[in-house]
Amino acid sequence: MSKALLIKNGIVYDPLNGIDGERMDIAVKNGVIVEDVSGKDIEVIDASGMIVMPGGVDIHAHIAGSEVDAGRLLRPEDHIKDVEPKTPYTRSGVGYSVPSTWTTGYRYVRMGYTTVMNPSMPPLEARHTHEELNDTPIIDKATYPLLGDSWFVLEFLSRDMIEECAAFVAWMIKATKGYAIKLVNPGGLETWGFGGNVESIDDQVPYFNITPREIIRGLCKVNKLLNLPHTIHVHTNNLGKPGNYLTAIRTMDCVKDLADGERAIHVTHCQFSSFKGVDWATMESGADAIARYVNMHDHVTIDMGQVIFTDTTTMTADGPFQYGLHLLTGNKWVNHDVETETSSGIVPFRYRPKSIVHAVQWCIGLELALLIKEPWKVFVSTDHPNGGPFFKYPDVISWLMSEKARKTVMKKMRKAALKRTTLPSIDREYTFYEVAIATRAGPAKALGLENKGHLGVGAIADIAIYAINPENVNPSRDYKLIRNAFSRAAYTIKSGEIVVKDGKVVGYAQGKTYWVDVEISDEAMETIKMLGEVFKQYYTVEFENYPIPEDYLAASHRIPRKSGI
Amino acid sequence: MVTVSSVVCPVCGCLCDDLEVEIENGRIIAVRNACSVGEAKFLNYWKHRNKPMVRKNGELIEVSIDEAIRKAAEILAEAKYPILYGWSSTTCEAIKVGLELAEELGGVIDNTATVCHGPSLLAIQDVGYPGFTLGQSRHRFDLVIYWGSNPWSAHFRDLDRYSAFSEGRFQISAWRRAFAKVYARIAAKKMNAASKRTAAKYAVSPPFGSELVDTLLREDRKLVVVDVRRTATAFKADYFLQVKPNKDFELLQAFRVLVKDGELDVDEVAGVPVELMEEVVDVMINCRVGVLYFGVGLTMSKGKIRNIEAAINLTKELNARTKFHILPMRGHYNVTGANVVFAWTTGFPYAVDFSHGYPYYNPGETSVVDILCRGETDASLVIASDPVANFPKKAVKEMVSNPLIAIDPAPTPTTLMADVVIPAAYAGIEAPGTAYRMDHVPISLRKVVEPPPGCIPDEVIVKRILNEVRRLRRG
Amino acid sequence: MEIIILKPKREFKVPIFAECITPDILAGKTLSEIEKLPVIEGGKETNLCELFQIEGKTGSSPNDTKIKLVGDFSKVRCIGSEMTDGEIIVEGNAGLRLGEKMRGGRITVHGNAGSWLGTMMVNGEIEVFGDAGHYIGSSYRGAREGMRSGTIKVHGSAGSEIGNFMRGGTIIIDGCVDIFAGIHMQGGEILIRGDSAGRIGAFMRGGKIVLCGYTPSVLPSFTIEELRPKVKIAGERIEETFYLFIGDHADEGNGKLFISKDRNPHLKHYERFL
Repeated sequence: MSKALLIKNGIVYDPLNGIDGERMDIAVKNGVIVEDVSGKDIEVIDASGMIVMPGGVDIHAHIAGSEVDAGRLLRPEDHIKDVEPKTPYTRSGVGYSVPSTWTTGYRYVRMGYTTVMNPSMPPLEARHTHEELNDTPIIDKATYPLLGDSWFVLEFLSRDMIEECAAFVAWMIKATKGYAIKLVNPGGLETWGFGGNVESIDDQVPYFNITPREIIRGLCKVNKLLNLPHTIHVHTNNLGKPGNYLTAIRTMDCVKDLADGERAIHVTHCQFSSFKGVDWATMESGADAIARYVNMHDHVTIDMGQVIFTDTTTMTADGPFQYGLHLLTGNKWVNHDVETETSSGIVPFRYRPKSIVHAVQWCIGLELALLIKEPWKVFVSTDHPNGGPFFKYPDVISWLMSEKARKTVMKKMRKAALKRTTLPSIDREYTFYEVAIATRAGPAKALGLENKGHLGVGAIADIAIYAINPENVNPSRDYKLIRNAFSRAAYTIKSGEIVVKDGKVVGYAQGKTYWVDVEISDEAMETIKMLGEVFKQYYTVEFENYPIPEDYLAASHRIPRKSGI
Repeated sequence: MVTVSSVVCPVCGCLCDDLEVEIENGRIIAVRNACSVGEAKFLNYWKHRNKPMVRKNGELIEVSIDEAIRKAAEILAEAKYPILYGWSSTTCEAIKVGLELAEELGGVIDNTATVCHGPSLLAIQDVGYPGFTLGQSRHRFDLVIYWGSNPWSAHFRDLDRYSAFSEGRFQISAWRRAFAKVYARIAAKKMNAASKRTAAKYAVSPPFGSELVDTLLREDRKLVVVDVRRTATAFKADYFLQVKPNKDFELLQAFRVLVKDGELDVDEVAGVPVELMEEVVDVMINCRVGVLYFGVGLTMSKGKIRNIEAAINLTKELNARTKFHILPMRGHYNVTGANVVFAWTTGFPYAVDFSHGYPYYNPGETSVVDILCRGETDASLVIASDPVANFPKKAVKEMVSNPLIAIDPAPTPTTLMADVVIPAAYAGIEAPGTAYRMDHVPISLRKVVEPPPGCIPDEVIVKRILNEVRRLRRG
Repeated sequence: MEIIILKPKREFKVPIFAECITPDILAGKTLSEIEKLPVIEGGKETNLCELFQIEGKTGSSPNDTKIKLVGDFSKVRCIGSEMTDGEIIVEGNAGLRLGEKMRGGRITVHGNAGSWLGTMMVNGEIEVFGDAGHYIGSSYRGAREGMRSGTIKVHGSAGSEIGNFMRGGTIIIDGCVDIFAGIHMQGGEILIRGDSAGRIGAFMRGGKIVLCGYTPSVLPSFTIEELRPKVKIAGERIEETFYLFIGDHADEGNGKLFISKDRNPHLKHYERFL
């Protein structure tokens, strides 16, 4: 940590500081980027002819917690095909679609990623998420508590008690050591408690006198009041249903007036919410409509949710959607309804290029990224593992950068599928600068992570160096080189430590768990104390046993915020 | 005297966290809200504690804890294929270190699921699992089925804390129903007597039958018990199906056919008449939200994993008609935690072999009872469990014929047969840590008193053994 | 044909993982190279020559490589793993997972074989003269990929859950079987000449099972279809009367279960449906 590092002569892409392929030195000391270093004990990395970028930031990947672990338990047959023997630097483990925690951390840093957000944490089981994050080595991480169906949230919002709701949400985020407000099929998960679902954002949630629209708007207001670093992070209603692109647009639109010139909502894995058509036979891409909306409105960010053609495991908090997937495929199905809060479901799934629907889905993810003009609005993700395993991100990068790469994949698809999407006619190719935005700078900015996603002085020294020379390589033609280079970072530096060399883990750094501590007034605290009695009625655990102490986290990084309540 | 509230009980899978404990002079003198088993543990934990011991010339001799740990590490470092077993009555933090130790040794690590709900885990791996957390039971479930499980005698507070006799947002307690039933019977008797008199007087149609009792009972929640004998829980049930021993599989498969509106070629299955089965199927289909709780009656009777598979399939298929859930009634308070920690570290919930430097899983091959019965191991470490008392004789014989290390707070048959005994602090009383309830909800165990001198938390013991093993092997 | 012979040097205690004892890996190697092949004993890596006395030679390709294992190999696992051709003969007992993921060639055991015989087999032939364990021709946990084709013959008896998730191929047991024969069967054929402990064909979706011996009962989720005067299976024609049951209806299955009429008089009550 006290080491000094000098990365010489690399070709730097640092979009947050406007640097687009400049030859520069980057200096690191005490885990942080500094102006320069001097003295004797400096380790020098010769990055000539190589790309230097900030470490990757993944805004949405299911890597820890009860849902992920249930997925691991479900799929021994997925594990045995991809094992990781122990090495002097690494613990053993298993990989593929639901890797063990140690393997997860190692595989991310091998790709040059250094920060990962776990998006689905049932608050009651937050300890589980954090125990797993504690055992996910090297990377920095954070997690989003699921709040869109919490009984307390629904009751406060149905009575328009925004400030009280905000106090509760602030308490919840601190109690669960969370980072952002997550909504999944808002209202739908409570309805699933009795086996039902909602079908539009204006459906009534039974027993609760509230609609999804009101939940989304209410939590958006709460988010603003609490001054949280990220916006509300939303998995829309009607996920995976033909025709749902309208739900996605309505969801984005319903908080437009609350934006105040800033970002107000992040729609995650948007591919799954971008279907046109009325049923599977008529399903087609709605990406152009979504992209048009996003292009015209600045209050929205999205991540792709790109599909990979492989056997993977779907897992989301969207219990009813997952049940539907079980009925569709006949595959084994795990469900987990969490009292008072949320649900989840897990179903193995294979995406095939010859399936018209899967092929269209594959196209939609890329259409979204290519049709949305402003690269700061759309980020790379596969909603790991729902669309595919995260270590396939280099494939996604190659598809973004090369029309030829896309065409190679499209050749495996039926013509009928290609007619249902505009992708064949898109020739846009991402530049390295745009890739840096989509995989690092953009997510970091959307998450409000001030010292990440860039290489300016003061940033945490999370750096990725890739053995590819933009001056010699034509990504459009040489997409395989791109894919290989991004799969095995020449160097990954985490908090100033060299942890990866040539795609192999050679060192260790203690990754931190980021969480937000919102300061609320004493008056607001009174609301929380009064909840104690009702808490006992709703939950089967005691109020005193619910919050997680800070020392539960192996390495805590507390982010204080001042709020408006 | 100090009172500590919201204490978590470290006994069974209910993991009740509302206990109140009174402490005087560093000892617990009273407990409130616990069941009798929990209370017994909190009041008697301090008695009969182990001391560090090593067997020399056939006798267990008291030694220093350092010597015991050193001897344990020597045994393990020398072994070619050691087994590390137990892990279900200790904290997740200790289990994590145990996994690291197993990886270092290249041996096998297994937990008590291997003799208990291992079949449930195997079935889940084949067909999945529609599950929930226990609050859902309290709030929503109006049909509760216990199959091969007797919570009245094994998970004492389950019924009134989480299940049929609890009160929730949308459900009132079945106790009320039990009372309502009694009142309804009294009322029906009166009405029958009255109508007999009327009929006799005015020659009218015959009196009401049992339908009256049913219509008077407009309560929602129903309790159904399926077991080989009329258990204490069965006495409280609305329906009791007595299944012939080892015939649960047949009964479950037959239920599946009926739920899908199929027909059976037989009149009774497993001793249960098909008419009664059809009535129960009606109740299942017409409930609002139902649950099937099951226990060792299914996991350890003939068919084992396939009994569970049939039960899970039945639950999945009921979801096409109504909403239905299933849950295994886990015994040890942290066996679920053991499965969870094993799974996130290795990908597999129990029976993990590290012989090749990476995790490999194949119960039947890598499960410790089978390894012992085939005589394939040369050393064992047992922690937080008592296999000498529980395992099949052949396995026990093999286990004690090899060097055996036992880590336990109190003497057990296993510690009495061990070559090294290491005294542990009681998790949840003398040491903190995380445990997982049977529905996978993690709860933090508290430390409420200091352990006796020389007794240290499991996590620390295993860590010290690991460090010593590393020193011996790597130099 | 060249033969290479391996004999255990001592009695084994902990398991030996011998994925390298296959014609594919031994073919084309010198004796010295073979002796140095890595093999795992318990959790420790060692060499083949540390455990086995090795004599003879192998052919240049798996096709002309014959391996003879003489002695007690009951603790040696994964013999013949993924082999594509050639022959292995075990003169003694063989351990778990014999012929795992086999793709071709032939294995003969002149003693007993452990559980998971021919698990995940793609093709090939296995013949065991003694008894075999559980999970013959089965899939791995959580998967549905049992034996795809090939033949497994056991002259003695076998354990439970044989043919779990079998997709094709043939299993023949001359002796008796424990419960759940043909469980989750999707295709292929199982012939059992002896008795079954029950629950044949549970969760079955397709395939054909013939039981020439006794079974205590048939699962309630099967229905009687007809009486058959003879049945053809595994290239044989058995001239006896069989009950034909269809099931498993709990899984919308269309598997065929032939149960001997003579050996099962207690099943006569099914005849009222015919």
